[in-house]
Amino acid sequence: MSAVIEIEGLRKTFHSMRSGRRVAVDGFDLLVEEGQVHGFLGPNGSGKTTTLRALLGLVRADSGRMTVLGEPSPELLTRVAGQVGAIVESPQFFGNFTGYRTLRLLARAGGVPVSRVDEVLELVGLHDRGDDRVRGYSLGMKQRLAVASALLKDPRLLILDEPANGLDPAGIREMRDLMRSLAASGVTVLVSSHILGEIQLICDHVTIISRGRRVATGRVDEVLAGHDRHEFLVRVAEPERAVELLHAAELTAVVDGGALVVGGVSDPTVVSRVLGEQGLWVGELTPLRPDLESVFLELTGAYEHPSVPRQVDDSSLPQGETVIDLDRGVDA
Amino acid sequence: MNLVRAELERLSARRFVQLMVVLLVLAFAVTAATTMAGSHKPTAGELNSARAQAAEARRDLEATHQECLNRQNGTLPADTDKYFPSDCSEVDPIRQERLPIPADFLPGVFTFAEQARPLLYFLIAFLVLFGFLVGASYIGADLTSGGVVNLLLWRPRRMTVLAAKLGTLLGTVLVLALLASVAYLATFWVIGQTAGLPGRLDGEFWRSLGAVHGRGLVLVLLSSALGFAIATLGRHTSAALGALAAYAVVWELGGRLVLEIVDAPKSDLFMVSSHIGAWLNGGARFYDEQLCRGSIDGPYCEGFYTVTWAPALLVLLAITGGLTAAAFAMFRRRDLI
Repeated sequence: MSAVIEIEGLRKTFHSMRSGRRVAVDGFDLLVEEGQVHGFLGPNGSGKTTTLRALLGLVRADSGRMTVLGEPSPELLTRVAGQVGAIVESPQFFGNFTGYRTLRLLARAGGVPVSRVDEVLELVGLHDRGDDRVRGYSLGMKQRLAVASALLKDPRLLILDEPANGLDPAGIREMRDLMRSLAASGVTVLVSSHILGEIQLICDHVTIISRGRRVATGRVDEVLAGHDRHEFLVRVAEPERAVELLHAAELTAVVDGGALVVGGVSDPTVVSRVLGEQGLWVGELTPLRPDLESVFLELTGAYEHPSVPRQVDDSSLPQGETVIDLDRGVDA
Repeated sequence: MNLVRAELERLSARRFVQLMVVLLVLAFAVTAATTMAGSHKPTAGELNSARAQAAEARRDLEATHQECLNRQNGTLPADTDKYFPSDCSEVDPIRQERLPIPADFLPGVFTFAEQARPLLYFLIAFLVLFGFLVGASYIGADLTSGGVVNLLLWRPRRMTVLAAKLGTLLGTVLVLALLASVAYLATFWVIGQTAGLPGRLDGEFWRSLGAVHGRGLVLVLLSSALGFAIATLGRHTSAALGALAAYAVVWELGGRLVLEIVDAPKSDLFMVSSHIGAWLNGGARFYDEQLCRGSIDGPYCEGFYTVTWAPALLVLLAITGGLTAAAFAMFRRRDLI
C-alpha cells in the first residue's frame, strides 16, 4: 500500500514573550497508508493539532519531512489540495450565513461544482437544516457542517480533528457510520479524537502521541495485543486456596474483590485444570483484554496519580522513553 | 476568479459592511433632505438684490485696496482708525481666493456650485472611514474566526488568498465609492436645479470638482488598504482601530506638541494629516514662524511653506505600501493557530 501521509522527524517550537519557548512537537513520525482509517490519539496539549496544522501548511515546522499524497508539504501541497478534505479543531463559520451558503462559498472558492453542496448536506444529516442560519446551529450541527465542508471536494484523504466534538450519542454513531462508509469507498481517513472507544470501533490503525513524540503506532489490535498481560478473571468457591494452587503452578494470582485476577496465562485451560484437579471448580473464566483507553492512559502516563488533578502538560513518555512501533519493532 | 467571486460574496454579506452602507445611505438621505427642506428657489427680486449686494461688496474690496495703496504712497494721511495691512497685496481683490458672488447674499438658497466641494469632502471623509473600518474588519474577523484557515485548507496559497482578499476589498470599495459619490453629487445637482441655484457650472468647476473627486477616491483606497494591512499585522480588527487611535493621540496631538516645544522646523511635515490635506486639496500651506527668523524679507516674510500634492502622495503611498508589504511578508510566514 502506498503512503498517503508521511511525517518524519517533525519538530515545532513555539516562542512567546510570556511563556518563553515551548516544544509542541518533538521529532514526531507518522505513516498513514492508503485505505486506512487511522486514529490519532494524544492528551490535550500533546501536539496533535500542531502536527495536523503543520501537515496542512498552517504552521511552519522547524524541521522534519512531510508528504501528503506523495507531494512534499507544505511546499507542493497545492498540487493535491483538491483531493484533501480537512477540518482542524472546530472551524468557525459566519453566523449570518446559512449552512448551504457557507458550503456554496467554499465550493466556489475551491472550484467544486455547487451541486455537490446538496450531496454533502445530505451525507452529514443537515439537508433539512441547510437553509437555516449557522448562528442557530447547535455545536453538533456546526461540527456536521465542518465535516460537510471537508467532504465537499470528494476527497481521497480526509483529515478530521476531533470530528465528534459536540455530537450527541446518536450523532457520534452517525459520524462513525459515515467514516466507515467513506473508508469502504476507498477514502483514507486520519481522525484525531478523545473518544477512545470510538477510535477503537472505527479505526484499523492508530498512532498515539504524547508530549510531541510518538509513543505507539500500528494496527489497533496489535497495539492492544502489545499491552495484553494475559490476565483472566476467575471465580471459584475458595479464592485464598486457589491463589496458593495457582502460585504453585507458577502463575500470578491476586484476590480482587470476590474474584481472582490470574496473570501470565498463555492457555486458559491451564487455570481450570490446576484448580479442577484439586476439586475447585471454576465458576467464571473471563479474559481481561486491554482496551484502547487503558493502553492510551498507560502510554501517555495520564493516569499515574488518580487522586491528583492532572495538568494539561502532565502527560509523559513511557518509562525510559520507549517508543513502540509495531510496524518497525521496539526502540528503546 | 472563483476565489474573488467567493470573497466578493463574503464581503458583501458581512453585517458590518451592510451596516456601514446603511449609515452611508442614511447620512446621504439626511443631508439631502435637510438641504432640500432648507432651500428654496430664489425669486427674481431676491436674485436682483443679491447681485447688487455682491457687486457692492466687490466695489468695497477694490476701494479698500486702493485706499491702502494711497496711504502707502502717501497721497492720503496715515492717521486714521481704519486698519490696513503693511502689504496691500493682502487686500488686493485679484489675489483673493474668491470674490463675493450673488449666492453669498441668498440666505436659505442652496447653490450647487458653492456647496458641491464641501459636500464632496464630507462624503470622502465618510468613505475614508468606511474603507478603513471595512478593510480592517474584513480581514480581522476572518483571522480571528478561523475563516482564513478554512480558506487556506481549500486554497493553500497564502499570498494568493491574501491578495484576493485585498483586491476584492479595494475593487468593492472603489465601485461603492464611485457609485455613492456620483449618486450623491447628482442628487445635490438636482436639488440645485429644482430647489435652489445651480450656480456657475463651467468647465473649470467640473475640472476642479473632478480632481477633488479623483484624489478623494485614491485616499479612500489608501485608507482601505491601510486598515486591511494593520489588521493583518495585528491579527485583529481592533489592532487597526487601536493603531489609528494611538497614532492620532500620541503623534498627531502629543507629537505635535513636543515638536512645537522643541521648535522643530516645519513640524507639519511630520504629520500624516498634513499630507492627507495636501493631497486632497492639491496642496497645502503651513505656517512656521521659524522661517522668518533671520529672513532677508524682514517684515514682509509670511512664514508660510507649501506642501504640494506629489510629495504628499508619495508619503501616503510609502506608508500604505510599506505596511501592506509588511502585512504580506508576515502573513506568508506566520503560524495560523
